Amino acid sequence: MSDLSEFVAKLEAADETERVYAAEDIGYLNAAEGVAPLVARLDQEPSRAVRDAIFQALTRIEADAAVEGCIRLLASDDPQIRNQVVEILRHKGAAVVPFLETVMREGDKDLRKLTLDVLSGLPAVSANAIYQAALSDPDPNVIITAVENLGRARAHRFKGRIEELLLAASHPMLIGACLEALVGIGDEDSLAILRRRFPDFSMLPDFFLVSCLKAIGALGTERDFAAVAALLAERGTQLRPAILSALVGIHARHCGAAHDDNLLPLLRLAIDDLSAPLCSYQAVRALGFISSRDDVYAFLIGCLTSPERLVRLASIECLRETKRPELDEVLAARALSETDEDVRQALRS
Amino acid sequence: MSEISVEQFKRLSQHIYQKLGLHFDEKKIYFLKKRVEKRMAALQIAEPEDDVFMVGYADPLGLEMQELANLVTTNETYMFREYEQLQAFANHCLPEVLSTKLARDDRSLRIWSAGCSSGEEPYTLAMIVQEVFPQAHSWKCQIIATDIDENVLHRACEARYGERAVAEVPEEYRKKHLVEDGEEWLVREKTAALVEFRHLNLNDRMAMRAMRGFDFIFCRNVLIYFDDQSRKAVVDHFYNALNRGSYIFLGHSESVGRISTAFKLKRFEDHLVYIKE
Repeated sequence: MSDLSEFVAKLEAADETERVYAAEDIGYLNAAEGVAPLVARLDQEPSRAVRDAIFQALTRIEADAAVEGCIRLLASDDPQIRNQVVEILRHKGAAVVPFLETVMREGDKDLRKLTLDVLSGLPAVSANAIYQAALSDPDPNVIITAVENLGRARAHRFKGRIEELLLAASHPMLIGACLEALVGIGDEDSLAILRRRFPDFSMLPDFFLVSCLKAIGALGTERDFAAVAALLAERGTQLRPAILSALVGIHARHCGAAHDDNLLPLLRLAIDDLSAPLCSYQAVRALGFISSRDDVYAFLIGCLTSPERLVRLASIECLRETKRPELDEVLAARALSETDEDVRQALRS
Repeated sequence: MSEISVEQFKRLSQHIYQKLGLHFDEKKIYFLKKRVEKRMAALQIAEPEDDVFMVGYADPLGLEMQELANLVTTNETYMFREYEQLQAFANHCLPEVLSTKLARDDRSLRIWSAGCSSGEEPYTLAMIVQEVFPQAHSWKCQIIATDIDENVLHRACEARYGERAVAEVPEEYRKKHLVEDGEEWLVREKTAALVEFRHLNLNDRMAMRAMRGFDFIFCRNVLIYFDDQSRKAVVDHFYNALNRGSYIFLGHSESVGRISTAFKLKRFEDHLVYIKE
């Protein structure tokens, strides 16, 4: 322990670099006894570099004492300390779950929320009990964070509970979180529940509509395509990315009926507005839904000379989906005059 | 195989930024899509959502992220790479540090090129230093270039490069600092003499502690190959190796602030740089 005493003493050195090295050396000693002096030093340490070194040392120490020390720091008034400690606990992985169960039972609402922040980087399966408790928590922020985590972690076993929450919730953030979670773990039942909750999404406020569109993009069918596309004309341009993502999402799973004459003019609203290249890109990709039509095919060929490279790239991707026999020759000819390297490569591949 | 949607691109690029510090804006959607699709094919993953999930939430050791790093970065290195960053160094940071030193009558300048590979970066810095600061040879001016790979260091010491490596060197610099030798280019001796190559493992903490007193550290496109913990440890060592008022440069799309809170962000016109205050 003589090394430890020496390093602990150096934590008080006047020279910043000495203190950094002391913290680092304590971390490499990997001894439980090193935790308390590191935690104690954090409160008074003015240097961010030394603080960073202390956080790294706490990450490096494998003993339970390091987890316990970090959990005590979750209650710190300093947001930097709280954020860093969340990162450290995440880094330590599933081993921290039993400790967090205690925090979830005994901690206040802020600690319960931070517990879920730690879990957001861990597989949900290791923390079933915590999530069960969190979904019935009296604090909405705790429930929202739990739902977000479960959606991101694709915890399918919580799908039913999240659908129940969607039907019953009144907190807008919770509704949004439920919708977004169902994007990852929902199925056709979830889509039915979404429709029950929001029978007419054309009238929804923007905030809910964005989340609904994500869910429809992930779960909707070819029947939804035209109704979603109609929103391009009905709603403001700020919703275009969400509408177009939903269309591309549906198209990724379904091919459209070629008879809808309204789709090309609707999508052109976004394609022709080159001030938002990513929207133009998505709109061209959504055209793939009806690319079997001759007028759409001709339009896509025209897009190969668009001044916007993302439009050219998207049109190549759509055209390739048509599998027309003459296409390779058309694209190869176009490659001769193309100047952008990515586009040229796409034309030739 | 389904293609990656814009939504998935955004989430994936967010994961890549969080883990590797590499920023992919929307103009890079096609670039990233194609590389990820290639990786998905290799792993026989049909659904992009599965790949995004794996990279984000089912890769505790960061192995898949590392594979992705190899696909989205280039090992190619050449002189005057990431020119804008070098402009910030040449036009703002270097003059500022030199004038502070002159005021203190300190006539030394130390630059560290960490992970210098075959030497293109340190020789680039040697050219810039001489152009911005012609008195460099009358000062104690050192560019220490380190790498873990002794083979590349041997190549770097030869100071001999093919056309691709020197293609971006401005014409007036090329005339002054390079000499043509058949199909290759040699760095002129006066310029090469400013650079000292050393073997160094950035993960060797005791060796890193010996690196002190630098005015600039360049470690561009190196740390993306490190795991989180090692990356933080290396940047902490860089902090200790720098003098106060000195600058660190990571790759153009890497963020120092994401790795360490110790440095301060400073703006020079359009350039953002990190300084040890």
